[in-house]
Amino acid sequence: MTARVLVAMSGGVDSSVAAALLVRQGYDVVGVTMKLFEDGAELPDRPCCSLDATSDARRVAEQLGIPHYVLNMVDHFSRDVIADFVAEYARGRTPIPCVRCNTFTKFSDLVAKADGIDAQYVATGHYARAVAGALHRGADDNKDQTYFLWGINRSVVPRLLLPVGDMTKEATRALARELQLPRVADKPESQEICFVPGGDYVQVLRRALGDSAPSLSPGSIVTADGHVIGEHDGFARYTIGQRRGLPGGSADPLYVVALRPDTREVVVGPREALLGTSLTAAGVNWLVDAPPRAGDEVQVRVRHRAPLAPAIVDHIDGDTVHMSLRVPVSAITPGQSAVLYDGTRVLGGGIID
Amino acid sequence: MPQPPIYLDHAATTPVRPEVLDAMLPFFSAKFGNASSTHRWGREARAATDAARERIAACLGAQPDEICLTSGGTEADNLAVLGGWRVQQGTGRPALVTTPIEHKAVLASAHQAAREGGEERLIAIDATGVVNLDSARAHIRADVAVVSVMWVNNETGVFQPIAELATLAKAAGAVFHTDAVQAFGKLAVDARTIPFDFLSVSGHKFGAPKSIGAVYVRRGTALAPLFFGGTQDRGRRPGTENVPMAVALATAMELTLAERDAECARLRALRDRLETSLLACVPELVVHGRTAARVPHILHLSVPGTDSESMLMALDLQGVAASSGSACQSGSVTPSHVLSAMGVDAALGSAAIRMSVGKLTTDDHIDRVVALFPAVVRSARAMGGRFG
Repeated sequence: MTARVLVAMSGGVDSSVAAALLVRQGYDVVGVTMKLFEDGAELPDRPCCSLDATSDARRVAEQLGIPHYVLNMVDHFSRDVIADFVAEYARGRTPIPCVRCNTFTKFSDLVAKADGIDAQYVATGHYARAVAGALHRGADDNKDQTYFLWGINRSVVPRLLLPVGDMTKEATRALARELQLPRVADKPESQEICFVPGGDYVQVLRRALGDSAPSLSPGSIVTADGHVIGEHDGFARYTIGQRRGLPGGSADPLYVVALRPDTREVVVGPREALLGTSLTAAGVNWLVDAPPRAGDEVQVRVRHRAPLAPAIVDHIDGDTVHMSLRVPVSAITPGQSAVLYDGTRVLGGGIID
Repeated sequence: MPQPPIYLDHAATTPVRPEVLDAMLPFFSAKFGNASSTHRWGREARAATDAARERIAACLGAQPDEICLTSGGTEADNLAVLGGWRVQQGTGRPALVTTPIEHKAVLASAHQAAREGGEERLIAIDATGVVNLDSARAHIRADVAVVSVMWVNNETGVFQPIAELATLAKAAGAVFHTDAVQAFGKLAVDARTIPFDFLSVSGHKFGAPKSIGAVYVRRGTALAPLFFGGTQDRGRRPGTENVPMAVALATAMELTLAERDAECARLRALRDRLETSLLACVPELVVHGRTAARVPHILHLSVPGTDSESMLMALDLQGVAASSGSACQSGSVTPSHVLSAMGVDAALGSAAIRMSVGKLTTDDHIDRVVALFPAVVRSARAMGGRFG
């Protein structure tokens, strides 16, 4: 009997090509599209999860001759991903919903679906590689998505099939054309957060928290030494390293260097003030047998596409890891992920505190 | 080699019967004329549509001029509900009475009437899936233009006291419409014995192609058309007559009626055996509308601890075609409005699936479905869990 694989199909080029490759490799492929939020009239055309994206996924599945189902995962996604997204902004942090979607939705809820239909494997269009139970960066350094995958249950890794992880984006697009999937081959990249219409995340916060929430209420813009230099209309509109929305007129450009939710202050400073030499990652998940120990050297990424930074593990306290960076790194932001690597292999990761 | 798949979704649609296909085919080629033309091609087409209309009328206990052909059940419902309501506006009858378990074609037509200034009233449904007659009496008053109650519910298969409701509506001076899309071929539908004013049928539910339906319009009942154009169908439904489809509908209706009693007995035996056997292997299974009078071909059930989506996916992967109450356009399953109106709890309601037997169903199908059902339930329960 051929092995069954459940492939998550968003309607985009990566997961479409992934499904096509799995069919070509002879798997018993079952395609699903996860419906993650209500896409009513208030969310017109989204690059992902919309009705259009769902029909694209269905059309690709029809072309490939595989069954395709839409799974309504709205409730769990709302609880596990959107609620956390809102709560993190409300306490002055900058969350990455994709990390929690991978941890809870794709590689937990969806794996249960795979178990239910006796699918040994779960496949996605992620640019990452699962080799012998280890998770490695994708072959295309520009596209690598392991930064978002550190939180998944380690026992899922041996069951992952990531067919485009060995390819560059260009090769994926070329293969889509070759596989006669023109409908998805030239689709624009979806860079936005799927449930945030038009990139306006403040609207999502406002709907969830109300207009008078502290994180959306006016406060002071202050310098590190306490000078008030302006007003803002909600610290949730700001993230570390941001320049937009700050008063001009100073000799050197100003950047957000900290958020103080208790006093609703946005702290600004010069570019140098963004540099940090240490960080703490909480809620760490390891994807290796022997996690690093105090004194070990690792490489760490603190933001999507940021360069890997050499670091030393200072000490580990339960699932909290304290690290020193060999060279200063800019804009280490609470709520973002710190992902630890050994070469191409993902060791694990956590949320920056 | 896997066994051939099993179609248990006859309430959704049925294959076109070979006799129906044979009857309609000449009107695509040799007999292609426009029924409104005066020449021989036109006369040939006119003769076929006139005859079809007479045959359809005979199947409903109606007169030929009482039959209006439509593009299907949805248009028939829209024409009756909205057309019947609109034509009475300005006469002191702003209200439209219906039920919360109607097909979306009726509910959405009622919502449209409300947007146009009407008042929409919903009759309460009891726990067995039958309309509450006290509630009906309370709602059907002298200010009501149209009362619309489906004859057979498409999810549960439960049928409604149409004769009583039609009589109530008439007594209040309202016109009465019934959506008989799931009733025709299963129950006696006769305009001479039951005083409905409008009645909708849809051909593809009983062996005609999709996109042909009819609305019965009792003589003397006013109706505002939805479309504007020529004088076809007395102006009620302008547009070039669809000759092959009219022939198909007439043929399918006649064939269905001719075998109604025997086929209903056969389907009832299959459905009842399916129901009894599934209950035997999954005793906690709940059959919706079980205590009410039901059409013979529908089994609507929920397995606690599952959800419709997982059940349907697991069944489909095992080769069994069933459906839930309603699917949204994206294909994901939404909770049944029918079951929530019956007061079924949300968890059970979101687990509902409908199996409907019909022409294609054999004894062997029932045996196979019963044999694989416990595994399907295990699958569906696992799918609702969380890994790790």
